[in-house]
Amino acid sequence: METVTLKIFRYDPDKDNVPYYKDYEVPVEGTLLNALLYIKDNLDPTLSFRAFCRSEVCGSCAVRVNGKTKLACKTPMRELYEIWKGKPLKVEPLNHMKVIKDLVTDIDEPVEKMKTLMPWLVPDPSVVPSDPMHESIIYPEEMELYKDQIHCMLCFSCYSACEAVEDNERYRGPFAFSRAYRFQVDRRDIETAKDRRIRYAISGGLWSCVQCQKCLHVCPKGVKPAEDIQNLRRRSIRKGFTDKPGAKKLKHYVDWIYATGQINRLYLPAEVYGDSEAVEVLKSAYKSMGAEVWEVPKPVKGLLKFRDTYLEVLSKSEEKAMNIDFSHVREIDRLVSDFFKADVCTILDRALSKSYESKGLVDRLKSLLGGN
Amino acid sequence: MKIGFYQGCCFQGQDAHMFDTMRKVFEKLGVELELLEETTCCGGNTIEEEERELSYAINLRNIALSEAKGLDMLISCNTCYMVIAKAKLAADKNKKLKEKMNRLLKAEGLEYKGSAKIYHLLDFLRDVVGYEKIREAVVNPLTGVKVVPYYGCHVLYPKEIAVDNSDNPSSLEEILKALGAEVVSDYECKDVCCGYHSFYTDKNMTLRKLDRILNSVKEVSGDIIATPCPLCFKAFDIYQAKMESPPNVPSAFLTELMAYAFGLSREESGLKYHLIKVPV
Repeated sequence: METVTLKIFRYDPDKDNVPYYKDYEVPVEGTLLNALLYIKDNLDPTLSFRAFCRSEVCGSCAVRVNGKTKLACKTPMRELYEIWKGKPLKVEPLNHMKVIKDLVTDIDEPVEKMKTLMPWLVPDPSVVPSDPMHESIIYPEEMELYKDQIHCMLCFSCYSACEAVEDNERYRGPFAFSRAYRFQVDRRDIETAKDRRIRYAISGGLWSCVQCQKCLHVCPKGVKPAEDIQNLRRRSIRKGFTDKPGAKKLKHYVDWIYATGQINRLYLPAEVYGDSEAVEVLKSAYKSMGAEVWEVPKPVKGLLKFRDTYLEVLSKSEEKAMNIDFSHVREIDRLVSDFFKADVCTILDRALSKSYESKGLVDRLKSLLGGN
Repeated sequence: MKIGFYQGCCFQGQDAHMFDTMRKVFEKLGVELELLEETTCCGGNTIEEEERELSYAINLRNIALSEAKGLDMLISCNTCYMVIAKAKLAADKNKKLKEKMNRLLKAEGLEYKGSAKIYHLLDFLRDVVGYEKIREAVVNPLTGVKVVPYYGCHVLYPKEIAVDNSDNPSSLEEILKALGAEVVSDYECKDVCCGYHSFYTDKNMTLRKLDRILNSVKEVSGDIIATPCPLCFKAFDIYQAKMESPPNVPSAFLTELMAYAFGLSREESGLKYHLIKVPV
């Protein structure tokens, strides 16, 4: 029978000064959980790990294999064998949590962090009937809003894989935000609770998420915490928290993409952090290396029609974080026309089909347009 | 062969030289890049915070522009790739969404059909160009250069859109080997996010991540860190330069190294224009 070596993290705080790894030869069949049970039954009864339902429901058997978070009962040994080409598989407890013994971790800390985001319903008496004998109806279209999030089974896979937890220990964890979001969009939840939840989310690191997408990747239930975090950010801005750097970054995106079809990374430091010198600093850094820098993006071909599409989506949106700031858009239009010595439409008409070569391109474009 | 090239924000404007390099590299590989001029910024995985459907509209429009030319699409930024692939996935799975978006695009004379394939630089080089062709184009092999591969997150996560095996990818290593480099693949922070996207939401997060990644490159005595993502590259170059005590680890965008190995000059490859100097 084909076998593979599992190098398993072992640590018993009552006996061991430091953790160590122990090798076990297991058959390449069934799931990783089968392999752990095989060890416990046949090779070493002292090995500790958590596992209850064995069928992807309870979420207790999550571990790391060669650093990657896996739900043991959902992970075929054959798959691991093939991905790692038969090499030994290092099995470790989840990251970012205290180890109780071997592969068993202490879930108290992430659970306590989650509670700070109020992931529960605070009933709105005008919606939820006070008589407990009356049904509190949830319509299918409401359910759509959080049908994925309710599947979170607290396996802490996302917490283990999270890049924000890694570098900000106050960060509450992906699952915690998904659970908070689930109630944030519940019609039965009172508005004052939603206000508080947003404030707690902000102090819990809402803007620290790096959007690496690892939480979506590891979630065994298809929850998308990074997307829920975006949704919560949107709601925080709608509630008036517009002073955060992240909110200003979004404003930059909303206005510049509408105005030119592009963002402008030269202006981001100024518009987000008020660093008005950054434009010149960056330009001169490039210039010193002999490269020419466009101060504004070239407006894309078809821009005016694109603007219509953009506006159409936003005009129908009931959810959007903010309105396009048209005075800002006019400012951007002016920057563009000052730069190219022509209005946006002329630039679009005349400059776009020309060959594309960067060095000296700005000068060439300007001369093409009759400016200098 | 010809492929539609999506520029995003990283291959134009202040970074137009990166497109010049990209085009020259693909010329040597027998691939013509047709610039998709009407495409816009993908929204950088940020416009979703304004309205998720806006991201779908923008990016299905981007794909539709490639389809209108009858071309598949090459995207050379991890984040653009992830965002556009997610929009495609959403529309291909959800007929209602697709119809709604197509009603919008109709006003521009466009239609998202779902017929164009979307490639990232990595799977395009692996599956369409092939490692052998890359090897053949090398005239100035990177012999003895210890190159540390760094994938970046958005080509590996989430799995639905990954272009390589998320747990144990190999395409970047293979490309670098084809360039003749000595690949140092085993380092502690290989899978740590570069933090680019948090620079304007939580700057300290970015700086901490860069510090860890770049120092772990130093630990394995890497000469240069190479990435197929222009944003990771910017984090490693521009944001590293903003650190209080930069570890001074040079970095390169993948096609810059390819250009150099294909015999282009330091200037033409773009390696000249880095804030953290590349010693070539």
